[in-house]
Amino acid sequence: MFDFKGTKPTTRRAALQAGLAVAAMPLTSLLPRHAAAQTRPVTKVLDFTTTADVAKAEQEGEFLFYTHDGEPAAAGICEAFAKDFPKIKGKYLRAQNGALFTKVLAERSAGRFTVDVIQFSEPATAIDFQKRGGYQRHVSPQSEFYAPEHLSNPVGDNFCVGVTFAGICYNTDKVKAEDAPKNWKDILNPQWLNATSVKQSTSGLQFVQWYELRKLYGEGFWKDFAKLRPRGFDSRAQLFDRLAKGDDKVCALAELAGYLLQKEKGAHIAFVTPPDGLPAGTLWNGVVDKAPHPEAARLFVDWLMSPRGQAHYQNNPFLYYGSVRKDAPPMPGGTRLRDFKLLTPGAAEMGTYMASQEAFNKEWNGMLGL
Amino acid sequence: MSTALAHPAHRPGRVVSAQMVAMAVVIAVVAIFVLYPIFYLLQAALDVGAPNVRPPTAYGLDNFSALSKYWEIMLNTLVVTFAATIMALVFGFLTAWILTRTNVPFQRTLEQLMAVPYYVTPLLGALAWNFLGAPESGFINQLWRGMGGHGALIDITSAMGIAWVMALFEGSVAFVMIGAVMKSMDPALEEASQLVGAGRWRTMLRVTLPLVAPGVLGAAIFVFAEMLGSFSAALVLGTPARFYVITTAIYQFVSQYPPRLPLAAAMGVSLFAVMFLMLYLYRRVTANRSFVTISGKAFRPRTMDMGWLRWVLFAICALYVFLSVVLPVATLVYASVQKLAVAFPKADNFTLDNYRTALSLNAVRSALSNSLVLGVLTATIGVALTGLLAWMIQRSRLPGRGVLEYIVMFPQAVPRLVFAFGMMWAWVVLPLPIYGTFWILLIAYLAVFLPLGVRTISGVIMQLDKSLDECGQVCGASWGFRLRTITAPLLRPGLLAAWLLIFVASVRELGASILLMGPDSKVMTPAIAEAFFSTSSELTAAMALIQTFVVGAAMVLFMLITRRAAGVRA
Repeated sequence: MFDFKGTKPTTRRAALQAGLAVAAMPLTSLLPRHAAAQTRPVTKVLDFTTTADVAKAEQEGEFLFYTHDGEPAAAGICEAFAKDFPKIKGKYLRAQNGALFTKVLAERSAGRFTVDVIQFSEPATAIDFQKRGGYQRHVSPQSEFYAPEHLSNPVGDNFCVGVTFAGICYNTDKVKAEDAPKNWKDILNPQWLNATSVKQSTSGLQFVQWYELRKLYGEGFWKDFAKLRPRGFDSRAQLFDRLAKGDDKVCALAELAGYLLQKEKGAHIAFVTPPDGLPAGTLWNGVVDKAPHPEAARLFVDWLMSPRGQAHYQNNPFLYYGSVRKDAPPMPGGTRLRDFKLLTPGAAEMGTYMASQEAFNKEWNGMLGL
Repeated sequence: MSTALAHPAHRPGRVVSAQMVAMAVVIAVVAIFVLYPIFYLLQAALDVGAPNVRPPTAYGLDNFSALSKYWEIMLNTLVVTFAATIMALVFGFLTAWILTRTNVPFQRTLEQLMAVPYYVTPLLGALAWNFLGAPESGFINQLWRGMGGHGALIDITSAMGIAWVMALFEGSVAFVMIGAVMKSMDPALEEASQLVGAGRWRTMLRVTLPLVAPGVLGAAIFVFAEMLGSFSAALVLGTPARFYVITTAIYQFVSQYPPRLPLAAAMGVSLFAVMFLMLYLYRRVTANRSFVTISGKAFRPRTMDMGWLRWVLFAICALYVFLSVVLPVATLVYASVQKLAVAFPKADNFTLDNYRTALSLNAVRSALSNSLVLGVLTATIGVALTGLLAWMIQRSRLPGRGVLEYIVMFPQAVPRLVFAFGMMWAWVVLPLPIYGTFWILLIAYLAVFLPLGVRTISGVIMQLDKSLDECGQVCGASWGFRLRTITAPLLRPGLLAAWLLIFVASVRELGASILLMGPDSKVMTPAIAEAFFSTSSELTAAMALIQTFVVGAAMVLFMLITRRAAGVRA
């Protein structure tokens, strides 16, 4: 089990239920209409339902998946799918979120349509891609297992394939438990000068943390944090690598997934769940417009949305993303997403959230010395 | 020459046409490979219209004026680049001189070992020195504290630490480039100097150094440009210390959402100015001066007897090899067999899982073979292309050949990550089945390694006496025949050095490959960089070692084949 310090898990459902219900009202009203518009026959394959024509998908024989996830993670997803559908070969290309976005836009503006399914690491990019007509509408029969806020508006363009969330982590050899931060405000303690780490502005989760903690504590929070001269890194792997080796004492954006992986190696680190909540980033996946292998793409997306795909996202050590599927089993370690108080921009504030991207990039890059 | 005489009398018209056709082809290739993507880069740098809309909706200079906000990054880049270039040239010149002009013991073995740092990806070097010299977790600092010391003995994440790592691994490029020039030098000039009473060091400084000046300057320009575009060391070592250079800043700008490509392009394009200033100085220094050391007179390479000093020189080379090869590789081996790399691990921390994971990745296996095939193709085509280019720049009377030299340096002047965007925009719009395939990587590699080949071969061509070619011409040999039977054999050491350098540079290429790889054309170094970002430094170490081992084996095979071929010819 995790050695969570100083807090008890707070039920996310209780805190967000009311707000989300209000925010999701326009979406819920849209859902039945799009579900009704779904005229493709639903078939059951293995233990999940799909509107893809499996025979045609097998005839297509392959699909191309663009993702922000790392090489082993992307390879793992395609291999897991291939185990269930050995006649369909999943190919993938990975790049950082921004580079991926530029690449796919350059291809589309040149009339090249090679990618079938795309996954972005944060909602703003997915919404931008949606506005540019990048997605092919595919209302999966699996949509009913997802809350409206985890589906695109209108439904069928993309869906939230997983959630990653972060608390605080510290090196137990360098920091005594009584001195360790207990809540977010504790990371502003001057004792963490030149000793704390976060992610770069390339990270969608980092953007969420900046947005949510600014909402909670005001704009001065990050200005005070900047005085500690934090170090910024591209990935959770780097953050935890340094934390485990003592190069940093505290990680201010410690993803549970990264913590679990490093803990398995025997690293002397501890995870803290701040009572004020854990910033959570959502990952968005959908079928691309003019996909050259549309049936294989639909089948892949339906599989990803199904318990089989979601189980892979939850349990693969290179992913460890929590599933937002209503019937999702517990994550490794036995907890569920709803056991945590997650801080994530709701559907109603998505406009404000997206508009603040520029301000975030500017403040964050400046804070990290860029 | 007798063969040339046996040929039918040449027809001037035909000679001119063969030469012109070859030149036209080379110029066309350079235009397509270099100028075409550069056009798109300039377009992006001037794009002030709606974000992420192509083609741009408005043009202006706003991106260039925004660069002044990043003066600190520019300054960091110049400091690291100059420091690293100077260090690399000192390493390269000294070791090249020792191994080609003196009777140092184990000369052949050392010469082969000297090239090894260049075989390894710069990421490996940066990673290894991070394991060794990180202020807190570095093995050297842990040992230091274990012996009762306080704080950090070395800090590899400082500006000078980064420059040190860059120089250590680029020093071998300088060694190969300068060494090729030194090998082609007639020792009679040095002997004459010693006969008139000059000592060994005076001879080295007053005779050897000026004679190899084009090679050294060529290497200086190339190494400077490499340092300017260096990414791995600055990323691995600089980021933890909040120390950014242009390449790492560009990486952040293109990776974030929304990507700031116009600013990144302007940043990259601004490096043209720095690079062309260097090239202008080079041309000024080498203009109207003779560096001929290869004439019609036969010579046999001889070395200076250094007496007991030869053991000191041996120690210098051995120390370089130790710091750039033995220590980093040993460190990575040590780290790669641990779950969490530390200086003093417990028994249960050791594991072979990192190798199991690395070898189980299908992408890695196919990436390795793709990298090797691309390396061989790029080196072979690249040597022919850059050999012709170097000849045109140095020997032909082609109008505008000076401009050609500047054009060739374009891809070197701009970080490869940025150049790759130009390549992507350029080739994605063409209705040819090239984008996203193996072939766009080949084109990109040929473009980005043009400067490497041209600089390496130009240095040797400048040492070649024109009278040798003119002699063949007088005897009636055609241009192509002279090129094949006179120029190319005399340039052999330079051509071989260029082949080797381009091969290795292709195999370890990172910046351009990241963006241009297709799903079926993955290459190795991005996979290693990927592991660094998304897995762990221990797995990355295992992957980098596997790549180094495979590249090393390929190099040994290549050397055996060339030696056997040389034996058959003899």
